[in-house]
Amino acid sequence: MKSRYNHSHWMSVFAALVMIAGLGIGSCARSQNLTANGTAIPKRPEQLKFPPLTFEAPSPAKFRVPLKNGPVAYVVPDKELPLVNIVIYVHTGSYLVPDGKEGLNELAGYLLARGGTKSKTAEALEERLAFLAAQLNSNIGDNQGSVSLNLLSKDLDEGLGILREVMTEPRFQDNKIALRKQQLLQAMKQRNDESEAIEAREAGFLAQGEKFWANRYPTAASVEGITRGDIEDFHKKWFYPSNFVVAVNGDFDRDTMVQKLENLFANWPFQGEKPSPIPTNTLFAKPGVYLVDKDVNQGRVSILLPGIKRDNPDYFNVLIMNDILGGGGFTSRIMNSVRSDEGLAYSAYSSFPGGVYYPSTFTAGFQSKSRTVAYATSIVINEMKKMTEGPPTDVEMNISKRGYIDRFPRQFATKTQIANIFAQDEFTGRYARDPEFWQKFRARIEAVTKGDVERVARKFVAPDKTVILVVGQKSDITMTLPEHPVALKDISSGPVTELPLRDPLTMKPIAGTEKSAAK
Amino acid sequence: MRVNMVMHLIISKRISKLLFVLATSLMAVHFASAQKVPVTEVTLDNGMKLLMVERHDEPSVSGGWVAHVGSSNERPGITGIAHLFEHMMFKGTETIGTKDYQKDQQIILEQEQVRDEMRKEEEKMRAAYRRGEIDDLMKPENKTPRWQELNKKFNELITQQRDILVKNEFDQVYTEQGGTGMNAFTSQDMTAYFITVPANKLELWMWMESERIRRPVFREFYAERDVVFEERRMRTDSTPLGKFTEEAEAMFWESVPYGWPVVGWPSDIPAISKAQADEFYGIYYAPQNITMILVGDFKTNATIALAKKYFERIPRGKKDAPDVRTLEVSQVAEKRMYAEAETNPQVDINWHTVPFGHKDSYALQVLAQILSTRTGRLYKGLVMGSQVATDTYAAQDSRKWAGLFNAGGEAKDGKTPEEVEAGVYAEIEKLKKEEVPPEELQKVKNDFAASEYRRLSSNMPILMHLIQNEGEGDWREINEAGKKIQAVTAGDVQRVVNKYLTKENRVVGVYTRKGSSQKQEGK
Repeated sequence: MKSRYNHSHWMSVFAALVMIAGLGIGSCARSQNLTANGTAIPKRPEQLKFPPLTFEAPSPAKFRVPLKNGPVAYVVPDKELPLVNIVIYVHTGSYLVPDGKEGLNELAGYLLARGGTKSKTAEALEERLAFLAAQLNSNIGDNQGSVSLNLLSKDLDEGLGILREVMTEPRFQDNKIALRKQQLLQAMKQRNDESEAIEAREAGFLAQGEKFWANRYPTAASVEGITRGDIEDFHKKWFYPSNFVVAVNGDFDRDTMVQKLENLFANWPFQGEKPSPIPTNTLFAKPGVYLVDKDVNQGRVSILLPGIKRDNPDYFNVLIMNDILGGGGFTSRIMNSVRSDEGLAYSAYSSFPGGVYYPSTFTAGFQSKSRTVAYATSIVINEMKKMTEGPPTDVEMNISKRGYIDRFPRQFATKTQIANIFAQDEFTGRYARDPEFWQKFRARIEAVTKGDVERVARKFVAPDKTVILVVGQKSDITMTLPEHPVALKDISSGPVTELPLRDPLTMKPIAGTEKSAAK
Repeated sequence: MRVNMVMHLIISKRISKLLFVLATSLMAVHFASAQKVPVTEVTLDNGMKLLMVERHDEPSVSGGWVAHVGSSNERPGITGIAHLFEHMMFKGTETIGTKDYQKDQQIILEQEQVRDEMRKEEEKMRAAYRRGEIDDLMKPENKTPRWQELNKKFNELITQQRDILVKNEFDQVYTEQGGTGMNAFTSQDMTAYFITVPANKLELWMWMESERIRRPVFREFYAERDVVFEERRMRTDSTPLGKFTEEAEAMFWESVPYGWPVVGWPSDIPAISKAQADEFYGIYYAPQNITMILVGDFKTNATIALAKKYFERIPRGKKDAPDVRTLEVSQVAEKRMYAEAETNPQVDINWHTVPFGHKDSYALQVLAQILSTRTGRLYKGLVMGSQVATDTYAAQDSRKWAGLFNAGGEAKDGKTPEEVEAGVYAEIEKLKKEEVPPEELQKVKNDFAASEYRRLSSNMPILMHLIQNEGEGDWREINEAGKKIQAVTAGDVQRVVNKYLTKENRVVGVYTRKGSSQKQEGK
């Protein structure tokens, strides 16, 4: 047996190799499947015996520090690498953007870190960060903003100084505003290029309604109309310490870091507003098939149903039910029937996430060549129906529950994950409502029964309410085929509606695109 | 960053962001004196290599292995076989995936007999296609009556097989035991498989992986070919740039076998036979062509013993995999592609450079970093300066047998891709004439240095970096490349710009928006 060592300090390995060679295992292991201690390799993996693995979920209280100047911080020291990682979560979002200013959150969120500060031009700030190899980023999404900094621990003080200046005295330099507007405009122009993007957008309209705040999109006019004043106001309104939650992990002493964070947030130069609650007025479309014509050789399908919030008492039952139906990848029914049995799609799934602020949407989806879109859809609908018609098998229950329980420690695999999971729980209010959520997670999974799964399937995945969105080549998708005598119009109880493409710069429907093939 | 020419990873299962991150961050993973990755290397009796990184930060083990085979080991007619193979490795073994192995084998044998006859019909169909009698081999109505009859027979055998099949059992076993992130990818140079298991289940990993390398069974072979074809439609045919990227790659490589897509040509995917897959397995999945890699919470000594127990059962392959002997010839004239696509106007430029581990690859990586990022030369020159572009990028892509340097950008509204192209060349000309100032060089090196730490954040990224380095040529680069990057001088950068970024050495793709052209030149 050859062996090589890459580092001189790996002497223990050397010793082990000598030992194995000394026992003369090399030759006999091959023919008899025996090891040094003579145990045969079992025929099946179930016969393997594993040592116990005990894992206690970390307790958020251990890391939680309410700072004097407002935010709650989760502080997780970790000396393994000379790096520090800071994320500041901010209660803000596109839902707070006034009508007609769509895109304001994106501009303000991006330019906070990219637009310079009072003492540094945007160019000087970028150069300094690059020289330090520090990563500073900011962003404002639908209902959350964040500013993050990852840097070498030796540069921590300088980095915190920059962070403070970025958050309190951003420059929002004019040429950077102009560039970002141009980049947003050019990104808009690509809105109809990918069928995937069309699908995601239209699914949102169908599941939540055109008027819902999350379905307001920036347009050329709205972005053009945003001024530097708008950006500055938006920033000052929402970026203040008691509106923050902080996650920090890495190479530092806890007490020192807490003091540094206190300093970071002390004497904030402006006071903001308390953000209004996130609106929850979603409106689900009428059952039926909705078709967007797009000239590609593979159709994309989303089968939608109204979802739940994650504090729903059935949340854990739904988790297991969806895992068995289509959430569990290659161990799920939809994947098995659509992909493995029939070879009709590469990706086939269902997802049923619990919404944080309002009910999220159930989606089952796949992509298949135009001619098998209807057939594959009927298979997925059939799997949904079967889910409501009887309990899952013991094998399915066991795989799903054991899977959730045994992979649970992965949630907390890194210190970055620990700090950010807890900060997110603080941010979304779950820590206040259910402080032992993670401690109780595995027991709650364990408690789910076959009856629960059947019951929530009947309650939530009734196929007669489905909204089916199809994006693809209409002519081929609606063709009647001898090999698969299934038509889209027969799959749903509702009608087939053609949806027009939208003008990428105004988001207004383009007249006529719902009638003729997009050529 | 755009990754036009770097998008050669075909990921078999769930779409993995990780790999995208990997592909884009590989430019920045090296440093001199930073923390080394403490790898222990052992070669088993059968020639299989085992790499181990003990790390007790989390109670898990990320395990993976690289088969040193990719699409560059294929030939016309069987393009896509390495990738199809990757899919088949999840289909089970003699004991996993079936309730009755004997019957399963019998059915597979019968299926192959039917398929042999179908292949004869497919030959006739291809001939009809060449004569122009049928337009598309994939359409059911273009199949011969005999083929359709045989297909019915084949489907009956599939139905029979389903009764004894244990669907996706390989996945089931891992999932039930807390395995996460099981996936695989195929590139031009390698096929890699990976998963994370709870730390107490390392032996399960040994059992499962040795089992599927030792005696895989390619059941559901033909349904899986259809899945791969859907993957091709999803990634290549139905995306705005998929087919153009494929075209550009085919145009770029002259002699090295990188010219065909990893997923395979559309004609080849449905034509690959199980016999060809068996032959491929015999050569390229022999233990001496495989490197196993473990990162995580285990004891190295005990792990070596366990690995010997499980993996040395696999006999050494009779033949070693052949080397790829064809070298890339020198390109003698610039090549250009003008594409009208559903995309914003942009330019993508590629130059032939050097493969993985080449002494100039380090200076080329430094050069890429000097040109790219928001403080790089292209952004400053083209986005902020002349304002011909809204986005720019640059990257060195060092593959196993050859390499390329890639740069480009998106034109600002009202500007043309040619103006962006001219801007890129202007920045390159400056670098040819003047050395990079020390401060700028140091800034770039600092980024490489910090990346040396960032890559070590948890088991899976370490595993992926080892997979990538080992698959391209040598895992040691994970610890060696950093020093070489730090040693690059301004003179080195100037030299490689002059040597490689020349006119006759480049292939340029100019993209304009489909339908926006005033000249109706027809398709």
